[in-house]
Amino acid sequence: MREIVYDVFARKDRGDVLSHIGYVDAFDEETAKVYAHTTYSEQTWFEMCVVERSNIIPVNDGDGLFAQLRRSKNG
Amino acid sequence: MADAIDPAALGAEEQSALERLILTLADSKRLMGIRYSDWILGSPSVETGIATSSMTQDEWGHARLLYAMLKELGRDPEPVEHDRETSEYASIAALDEEMQDWAALVAAMALADRAISVMLESFSRGSFEQAQTRVPKMLAEEEFHISLGTAWYRRLAGTDGDARDLLLAATESMLPTLVAWVGADDAPMQLLVGAGVIGPAEERLAAYRDAIRELTALVGVDADGVEASDDWDGSRGRTAGQPSEEAASRARGDLNRALFVE
Repeated sequence: MREIVYDVFARKDRGDVLSHIGYVDAFDEETAKVYAHTTYSEQTWFEMCVVERSNIIPVNDGDGLFAQLRRSKNG
Repeated sequence: MADAIDPAALGAEEQSALERLILTLADSKRLMGIRYSDWILGSPSVETGIATSSMTQDEWGHARLLYAMLKELGRDPEPVEHDRETSEYASIAALDEEMQDWAALVAAMALADRAISVMLESFSRGSFEQAQTRVPKMLAEEEFHISLGTAWYRRLAGTDGDARDLLLAATESMLPTLVAWVGADDAPMQLLVGAGVIGPAEERLAAYRDAIRELTALVGVDADGVEASDDWDGSRGRTAGQPSEEAASRARGDLNRALFVE
């Protein structure tokens, strides 16, 4: 069954930087939300969100994870 | 929300009925946790295993809170949690045996866990103050269980092979006893409805059928056509049977008896 990578971002308190805290494999947005919550909720987060990795658009053409993924996706 | 009642002022029969309700909810939560825990390892992905672990902890936390409500009726929860015979457990029949496959656990997540939540929702809107104050947080945590159960149920129902057949078999096996439990309308339940502790049977059952109708239709089961099983056990407020000895031993904490700190 096909799974999609969702990156997980969270901020500890209001006003804190939104940080990348990990990722989950899931088959849709709903399961991604559940897996992010159950995997990363040992701490209490003010805000947590998930983004499908393929929707992240890198701004510079570096060697970062997202830029590499974008390049491989675009052939 | 109904005005709160004083449990101590209830008659003996009403107190007994309230105790039975608390026990069947608490025992069901404890067994639900055990059934989730069976799949912490061996579930379809690391993420799913972590989710079942988290849901296990949720269920056991909820069970502790529910058992603690017995204090309001002058009953010590500790022996209730740790010293009862297996035959005294009032957990729902759908959780008596270990889930033999992932599809059965998904059915339990979507149908049995949901049935417990429907009952708790009705309980939280009633006149028992402990339910009014403690159950809403449980239901908020259960939202994640509902999301996961719904997503997995849809996913397995959408396949063509064994997974769908197993899901259908588990659904058909569980629903009659769940319908009997949610729609229970015997004398103790009627006493509780009369005292405003929980909503009427037809209201609870309608809420349950509404919650599962769309899902079960995906495997060709008409939730409105499911009839309650006719093996009601009024002494425990569940249908016939009992949890497996192994599960009851884990629920009681038999192996940790020497380490209890409370």
